[in-house]
Amino acid sequence: MNDELYIKESSEIFDAIVVGSGVSGGWAAKEFCEKGFKTLMIERGRVVEHRKDYTSEGVPPWHQTYRSRVENLLLQRDYNIQQQCYAFSDATKHFFANDREMPYSTAEGTEFSWIRANQLGGKSLLWHRQSYRLSEHDFRANGLDGHGTDWPIGYSDLAPWYSHVEKHAGICGTPENLPQLPDSEFLPPFEMSAPEKAIKAAIENHYSDKQLIMGRMAHLTQPTELHLSQGRVKCQARNECQKGCSFGAYFSTQSSTLPSAAKTGNLHIAPNSVVHSLIYDEKTGRVKGVRVIDNDDLSEREYYGKVVFLCASTLGSTQIMLNSTSKAFPQGIANSSGVLGHYLMDHNYNAKVKGDITGFEDEYYRGRRPGGLLIPNFRYKPSRYSDKYQRGFSFSCGAYRETWKDQKEGDGFGSKFKETLSQAGQWKFNMDAQGEMLPRFENHMALHPTLKDKWGIPQVEFNVRWSDNEKLMMEDAVEIGKEILINAGLENVTGEATERPPGIAIHEVGTARMGRDPKDSILNGFNQCHDVANLFVTDGSCFSSSATQNPSLTFMALTARAVDYAAKEIKNGRI
Amino acid sequence: MNDQHDKNNLELDNRSRRRFFGRLSAVVGSVAAAQLLGGNAISNALAYTPRPDSANSDGKLFRQQEMQILRDICAQVIPQTATPGAAEVDTHGFIDNQLFHCYGATEQQQVKSILSKIERISRQRYGQAFNDADQAQQLTLLEELEKPAGGFSQQDRANFKVLKGQIVFGYYTSEVGASEELAYLAIPGDFKGSIPYKSVGKAWGSMRSYY
Repeated sequence: MNDELYIKESSEIFDAIVVGSGVSGGWAAKEFCEKGFKTLMIERGRVVEHRKDYTSEGVPPWHQTYRSRVENLLLQRDYNIQQQCYAFSDATKHFFANDREMPYSTAEGTEFSWIRANQLGGKSLLWHRQSYRLSEHDFRANGLDGHGTDWPIGYSDLAPWYSHVEKHAGICGTPENLPQLPDSEFLPPFEMSAPEKAIKAAIENHYSDKQLIMGRMAHLTQPTELHLSQGRVKCQARNECQKGCSFGAYFSTQSSTLPSAAKTGNLHIAPNSVVHSLIYDEKTGRVKGVRVIDNDDLSEREYYGKVVFLCASTLGSTQIMLNSTSKAFPQGIANSSGVLGHYLMDHNYNAKVKGDITGFEDEYYRGRRPGGLLIPNFRYKPSRYSDKYQRGFSFSCGAYRETWKDQKEGDGFGSKFKETLSQAGQWKFNMDAQGEMLPRFENHMALHPTLKDKWGIPQVEFNVRWSDNEKLMMEDAVEIGKEILINAGLENVTGEATERPPGIAIHEVGTARMGRDPKDSILNGFNQCHDVANLFVTDGSCFSSSATQNPSLTFMALTARAVDYAAKEIKNGRI
Repeated sequence: MNDQHDKNNLELDNRSRRRFFGRLSAVVGSVAAAQLLGGNAISNALAYTPRPDSANSDGKLFRQQEMQILRDICAQVIPQTATPGAAEVDTHGFIDNQLFHCYGATEQQQVKSILSKIERISRQRYGQAFNDADQAQQLTLLEELEKPAGGFSQQDRANFKVLKGQIVFGYYTSEVGASEELAYLAIPGDFKGSIPYKSVGKAWGSMRSYY
């Protein structure tokens, strides 16, 4: 990396400003830089250098301060919300936001878990790496059943861009030719264990509408020349990804998009720069740049650019837009429609099912596979909907053998107890539903009228609830999940619907949705604001519906496509 | 035979480790490679360091007498066999540190309370401190606690399970527990979905980020 990569003060007018450095921001920066645009990436947090700053990587548990647990006082004081994330541990906490510094509120009677990652790379360092294309069925669902607004784009618009980003990021998986889950450009899949193969066969033998497939993940199972040229090598199956991976084996900004962007010499990064608002020029009707508060000393500065891409995370980008008021846009920039902040969605993870697998005592696995299996959504079009609710869900699944962790409060003493704990135990199979959430106007975020954070930015207040549709779906998922496992021959099958709040799937989308009509949407089909031609929002804010798929791959494809469009519009003088 | 098997595995592991280090250095540089394989020295600094004598003095949470009871319970739950047991790797010292820093008053009190109950029952029944009772007496008392019977209640059992969970956690996340008693692979290299169980012969002690 060159010495001038990181900047602080600058009066330069950049060709492009990208706010955020996570999955979307990394892609926006890479694509702009490779097209020859002098690009400024603005990150609110500190710099995290690939490899050098993965300080917990490779540390065995006995050398960790509290063997992966986090000190109680610190947990209560600084990570009250973040600790709800499955990936939060002593070895990853430095990549999560500090809740004490970043307060938010929820409307009475509602809950929302806002998981954040404020450093260079954002949540791309922490994500679960599951990568799935949306299908034409997903893009058409709103139009067909009347919830939300129809996406202005279809699968064919995005398909080449999925291919474009997949080849660079590296997605492993199996081609399945499923109508609801289009295949990606695949690297070889991870292997299934023997019981997983048996359960797959049993499920697919019993059901014509359900498949159990290997999960699709942004892991290099067999790196191509392109991946090697990024400085990345094969996945070592540690499954400790969220500590950071010096092998660059999973896709992150640091491993994949940042090296490509930096190589061009067109990239500059302004770290520790909390974007307060966008600077809007009433005369030209364009955005001129951004107002920034320094993360450390709270001083103010501005950056200028010809086009601005908001990639600050779904809720982060919308917070910035709501806080960017002007005579033309008193309710937030590009918000003439009044829908900014509305139609907030997440995925619903509130159904889990498990069972015991008999046999396979002679079978084991070697290595730690960094992800599991998937039963794709089988209620992917109205003719397949339940009569109790609309839309559908998928199941994330996996088999494992129990260890001491599952038996640590078991009965017994002495060498016999020790011998039991030293052996792999019962094979288990887990299923966790991932349900679609309907786009509803009532589910929204807004700026709090009085409360501000330490940077002087109005705090976010959430008002989001699961509707009956989501609750009925999870109850059904429990019943269907149990039926699947019983039919697959598992024993002691149990399931439960839980009541985890929205947000905790960390798949928040919506709030600046795409649509054809400027009167009820913020963005057009190229992620461009209807109201402000040189302002684009390409993270999850743009989603018109949540679908059931993990959204990050779609952020990548939409971002790359939007940059391509913006670059052409600039060339043609329309921006 | 098991020992020989383990030794062969270990040597194999060391050989592959050296080979791997060479390949890894070529990719990420030798400093980064050493860090990857050996862990980061800075983050080791504050980790609890096992001591041979932690039962001889007060801990952060427990009095010296409680530390001794704790040590004897550790030895009863996970004794020394072909590998050192929970007391030998100072799981009692670890638990004192862990409960003090990572748990609240509820769990701390649960453990304090069961230690005190164990001591009381020992004195009632055997006329001597738990530490002075012989091994068989200690075991009988703990087995009754787990049922529960012999003066122990369901609440005592529940309190004991908190402690037992800590002993098991402390032992299997120690270097001996995770990498000698169990099979430890820092960097597996790839994932194989199906191998004969007997080729490992024990559970994996290496896990994902969260233990």
